[in-house]
Amino acid sequence: MAAGGGGSCDPLAPAGVPCAFSPHSQAYFALASTDGHLRVWETANNRLHQEYVPSAHLSGTCTCLAWAPARLQAKESPQRKKRKSEAVGMSNQTDLLALGTAVGSILLYSTVKGELHSKLISGGHDNRVNCIQWHQDSGCLYSCSDDKHIVEWNVQTCKVKCKWKGDNSSVSSLCISPDGKMLLSAGRTIKLWVLETKEVYRHFTGHATPVSSLMFTTIRPPNESQPFDGITGLYFLSGAVHDRLLNVWQVRSENKEKSAVMSFTVTDEPVYIDLTLSENKEEPVKLAVVCRDGQVHLFEHILNGYCKKPLTSNCTIQIATPGKGKKSTPKPIPILAAGFCSDKMSLLLVYGSWFQPTIERVALNSREPHMCLVRDISNCWAPKVETAITKVRTPVMNSEAKVLVPGIPGHHAAIKPAPPQTEQVESKRKSGGNEVSIEERLGAMDIDTHKKGKEDLQTNSFPVLLTQGLESNDFEMLNKVLQTRNVNLIKKTVLRMPLHTVIPLLQELTKRLQGHPNSAVLMVQWLKCVLTVHASYLSTLPDLVPQLGTLYQLMESRVKTFQKLSHLHGKLILLITQVTASEKTKGATSPGQKAKLVYEEESSEEESDDEIADKDSEDNWDEDEEESESEKDEDVDEEEDEDAEGKDEENGEDRDTASEKELNGDSDLDPENESEEE
Amino acid sequence: MVEEDSIRVVRCGGSELNFRRAVFSADSKYIFCVSGDFVKVYSTVTEECVHILHGHRNLVTGIQLNPNNHLQLYSCSLDGTIKLWDYIDGILIKTFIVGCKLHALFTLAQAEDSVFVIVNKEKPDIFQLVSVKLPKSSSQEVEAKELSFVLDYINQSPKCIAFGNEGVYVAAVREFYLSVYFFKKKTTSRFTLSSSRNKKHAKNNFTCVACHPTEDCIASGHMDGKIRLWRNFYDDKKYTYTCLHWHHDMVMDLAFSVTGTSLLSGGRESVLVEWRDATEKNKEFLPRLGATIEHISVSPAGDLFCTSHSDNKIIIIHRNLEASAVIQGLVKDRSIFTGLMIDPRTKALVLNGKPGHLQFYSLQSDKQLYNLDIIQQEYINDYGLIQIELTKAAFGCFGNWLATVEQRQEKETELELQMKLWMYNKKTQGFILNTKINMPHEDCITALCFCNAEKSEQPTLVTASKDGYFKVWILTDDSDIYKKAVGWTCDFVGSYHKYQATNCCFSEDGSLLAVSFEEIVTIWDSVTWELKCTFCQRAGKIRHLCFGRLTCSKYLLGATENGILCCWNLLSCALEWNAKLNVRVMEPDPNSENIAAISQSSVGSDLFVFKPSEPRPLYIQKGISREEVQWGVFVPRDVPESFTSEAYQWLNRSQFYFLTKSQSLLTFSTKSPEEKLTPTSKQLLAEESLPTTPFYFILGKHRQQQDEKLNETLENELVQLPLTENIPAISELLHTPAHVLPSASFLCSMFVNSLLLSKETKSAKEIPEDVDMEEEKESEDSDEENDFTEKVQDTSNTGLGEDIIHQLSKSEEKELRKFRKIDYGWIAAL
Repeated sequence: MAAGGGGSCDPLAPAGVPCAFSPHSQAYFALASTDGHLRVWETANNRLHQEYVPSAHLSGTCTCLAWAPARLQAKESPQRKKRKSEAVGMSNQTDLLALGTAVGSILLYSTVKGELHSKLISGGHDNRVNCIQWHQDSGCLYSCSDDKHIVEWNVQTCKVKCKWKGDNSSVSSLCISPDGKMLLSAGRTIKLWVLETKEVYRHFTGHATPVSSLMFTTIRPPNESQPFDGITGLYFLSGAVHDRLLNVWQVRSENKEKSAVMSFTVTDEPVYIDLTLSENKEEPVKLAVVCRDGQVHLFEHILNGYCKKPLTSNCTIQIATPGKGKKSTPKPIPILAAGFCSDKMSLLLVYGSWFQPTIERVALNSREPHMCLVRDISNCWAPKVETAITKVRTPVMNSEAKVLVPGIPGHHAAIKPAPPQTEQVESKRKSGGNEVSIEERLGAMDIDTHKKGKEDLQTNSFPVLLTQGLESNDFEMLNKVLQTRNVNLIKKTVLRMPLHTVIPLLQELTKRLQGHPNSAVLMVQWLKCVLTVHASYLSTLPDLVPQLGTLYQLMESRVKTFQKLSHLHGKLILLITQVTASEKTKGATSPGQKAKLVYEEESSEEESDDEIADKDSEDNWDEDEEESESEKDEDVDEEEDEDAEGKDEENGEDRDTASEKELNGDSDLDPENESEEE
Repeated sequence: MVEEDSIRVVRCGGSELNFRRAVFSADSKYIFCVSGDFVKVYSTVTEECVHILHGHRNLVTGIQLNPNNHLQLYSCSLDGTIKLWDYIDGILIKTFIVGCKLHALFTLAQAEDSVFVIVNKEKPDIFQLVSVKLPKSSSQEVEAKELSFVLDYINQSPKCIAFGNEGVYVAAVREFYLSVYFFKKKTTSRFTLSSSRNKKHAKNNFTCVACHPTEDCIASGHMDGKIRLWRNFYDDKKYTYTCLHWHHDMVMDLAFSVTGTSLLSGGRESVLVEWRDATEKNKEFLPRLGATIEHISVSPAGDLFCTSHSDNKIIIIHRNLEASAVIQGLVKDRSIFTGLMIDPRTKALVLNGKPGHLQFYSLQSDKQLYNLDIIQQEYINDYGLIQIELTKAAFGCFGNWLATVEQRQEKETELELQMKLWMYNKKTQGFILNTKINMPHEDCITALCFCNAEKSEQPTLVTASKDGYFKVWILTDDSDIYKKAVGWTCDFVGSYHKYQATNCCFSEDGSLLAVSFEEIVTIWDSVTWELKCTFCQRAGKIRHLCFGRLTCSKYLLGATENGILCCWNLLSCALEWNAKLNVRVMEPDPNSENIAAISQSSVGSDLFVFKPSEPRPLYIQKGISREEVQWGVFVPRDVPESFTSEAYQWLNRSQFYFLTKSQSLLTFSTKSPEEKLTPTSKQLLAEESLPTTPFYFILGKHRQQQDEKLNETLENELVQLPLTENIPAISELLHTPAHVLPSASFLCSMFVNSLLLSKETKSAKEIPEDVDMEEEKESEDSDEENDFTEKVQDTSNTGLGEDIIHQLSKSEEKELRKFRKIDYGWIAAL
């Protein structure tokens, strides 16, 4: 007689696996998988709460399950101790789960105790139980079976209260009306029974295939004009095996209309249906239908009246794997169940495999017609025993994370370029066009290389190599120059290097200073040298603050811990250099930075223009390199000024600025940087 | 319709579970632990709370199983009563009133009608162990005043008392001596540790004691981590002890296994040590239990152990030292730095949890969801170690970002500070570290806030620090040729005259940022980061700062340390109103204009709920807690309530939770206690009715038969009373209304007849049992069989006459035949 468990071999069996969310707060999700195990998952943290294997799980697999309505249980607690019986908090506790099996028995499992509570057998079904429904308040349980009967159980005594023949074929689904006085059953047709007398109240045509789900969608009739008798005017929903249409029926006062009032169309057989009951006329019914193809269709309608055309879904939700790389294509992840949260605005989705499903709360956005969620469930396959016990989750900390330490750009606010009023002028300047033709520039370049060939015959410095390295950004070449420990070599190179490479060099040094500490030690020598030699040049740059902001911050953060020491050090350096400066400078004179072009300013009006152009040239120093020494007239103008100051004075001025800096407490140079601290 | 009672303060999250040793039920299915004024019954399998036994009026201080009935539980409390419970159904059976404060409870199988309690009689710190005789009485409340003194001058903690070797003696430890009282001889031996005279090495004071269940052996734990095993203590001179030393810190608790073959010990190291055969070599460990082990207990069946930990959890451990379940309350080990937050994604309450973790606590189901390991370093629990503390945390952008700040400060100048920004990865459903910032500030971070405006295009975070700066961090594109990525960078650094930045707060639309610098509040434009205006009231440092919401968004509120609450109007840049209120907690409700402020006074904390637009509070509740309230938070309700009365309207859309100094989480409830209590009376929905299994037939019946035989041999003239409800005469007599009853003489003979026993009853009962035995031989695990036996039992119950016996056997034969048929069919089906 026992037909054996496998519901899957029956072509007319529903496609899904019995599963249900616990009532009210949806704290648990119970799932009876095909291997006969009942698993209860915690929805909030996606943790396996418990697992139960019925003793007869192979012969009588679970065919349906239903949570008992919540009962109240006392909880904590008085709080002010001396007062009498204080606050006893309370929460709804759901702990009983009814399981129907393929052999006709019904098991009541207590999820609180983790053990079988009772077994309803005697006088019950002798064939596969298809559906179980708890009565909301009377403590009764209704079940229907392939043996064509509906049984009413008294759960308190675990005895059959009533058993009647529900249909001429197997009864596949049940639903209790919102007022608890009527029962819907679906066999060959859908019948509405009066529970008190067990008489048929209404007939509905039903589906061609067995009905897998029945649900009341409203608790109040659409028009509230006539008195409500508890059932008339209510809508209910039915879904069937192999049927892509969900029908909505209305219980009418006259017994004529037997066909469905409207229908919803979905892409495949419905597997799991959940809905929010509308409490008033304006509030639409929200319906979530999980199909066998793993999609969820959401419907949102106000049910009032008749609609011939099947309604399509307002929103479809799909889940897919990310599909790593270009080769693997994203694969769909089936959604197993979906339940509305109590706020009606979000949906709990259960997806993945039956054995290790993932439960996620997804906020609904009714405007989007299609939602595709990309989820990576590849690491969900490994069973996590340890975390289940310790309840610790470890967030991922990988090397891809960005690390900010003091001195790295981004750790401190970037120093912004000067106020934007110059931009306007700059654009004006650009529109003004080139004053120097390309031919002229080329000519100037030629002269320059010629001259250089003559002058740079000394081998104890690498200004050319450095310049080339900076221009081409050649790592090897720069390494060759910058990784020297010879202080003299550094000094000479810095002295001879062209001025326009000072800023690029400083930027390169900054980058290297942020790197490995070993190389940073070498860079400090260079930095010191550049700053002492070219301080005067640097101080003339109007956009120095944004250009060297990071360097400044870096230095500031690195010397912060020993400010007083650096004060002392700076003063000592100043003394020593002043003593030795006079002799030293004689030996290594800087090459004359001769003006290539002399531009006589015609009027003072263009003065502002000059400055801007200067800035421009510094910003786009690459361009300048191409043009090599054929500087624009403005530059030349500036250099001329410098020349005018005379070579002798240059070193002296360097010292002045350097000492000024050191008095300020750091070996950095520009007073302008101080302003940013405000 | 919601019933509107007065608003009461309700505790949630439970009291601490680790106050006393947990007790297992005899079958190891349940575990009991004291929790505040309650006793909680947990299932050891599912970690769920099965019952809460409430009835005590004060802290429950001890629980023990009734040694004479293992389905009953004794509990004692500071309210001076001992209560006896039926824990399966959660029913109070009896109350024994002792009258003085009871500090611990012990039971002994040998002392049948008495229990032992610790009381303090005259002086406040002198405790005595006394035995209380529990009088037998049928009434619910019994006075139990018959106390007999056992030991004086003992330690208050129940860990320092142990009964040994089936109740022959009791051992008590205090400071440097161990005293053993022998019940038979009524003498006390006292053993003092030699080194106690030497004050230098006075670290070996006793901390706990345990007695071997069968041998004369006492184990004592010491402050210096040693365990001493005392033997031969009957003689004051010849006593010996051996030492076991593994713990480097104080031994917190000791327990012998049921058979006495192994000893369990635990301490601050968070390692459970099992000493096998009481030898130093033979030991097993269960490490990394997370927090200090405070108590160890062993199930009477011997298959489970459990350890109670200082972080409010109980770990259930199998005999083979494998943790099988964790019962975790709200973690209460450490101080809460992060305050209370709500995770927008899971709607869980988030606060400091285990060391270096954030705990996510579900308020709906009132249990911990999980701990998120932020620091990710092995926690070494040792005295004097300065740990990395998780000091600040904030959620931003609807739960997509989590910012955490951890700090470790060993000396004044050596501050280690790290800020981590975690991104919630939807694909893997977990947090991933995005940016790690070392030393984001030079000094401690005092406040952290995200800009949570709905239409902010760029996630923005502001940190305020004692170093006088506040920094604005924004999310920028950080991709290079190798990867596409986003990362956080500093966008702006602001300061105000080198004052310490103490608080920061974004306005609801995210357009303004308010940063308080000690006494001054500065308002910054969040687009250009320009200082817009400053407010200064010279009323002390600003302690709390928040913007009004919705219709009150033009107001800014600040609470100062000098007890002034100020409200500024941002449009007029003027003080709107101020009030004298010593605000400890100020929290805006995200769903309404309401702001809750909790003020602290000498007698307790008071709650004020107000709107910034008017200085008159909407609701005041005085004395919500005797202690200082440290943190509070509004939790949006999933389903709004509909209180109509003005006083409760503030609770409609959100619920307010607050945390006191002793880390009890409290909230407000409007439901009356009576309303809540009534459904508990109709406790279990369904009776347990499990069909009998073949094992039951073999074992159950067998035992029954044995019992019957015993009964027969003991009392041959045992009168078996028939079940009264089955006799129609009696039921008629009892249930018919008096005015329609016939005369008493008529009824009398009928009644007496009905009470007579017919001789055949016995034989009628025996026969079906024989049949049962027969049937067992062929019984298989099938459901049909159960039907069959039930029917047999039914008929045997009702059958009284001889003729029925014949019928019975016939029907049995029929059934048997049927059964065989079915049985064969079943085999064929295989």
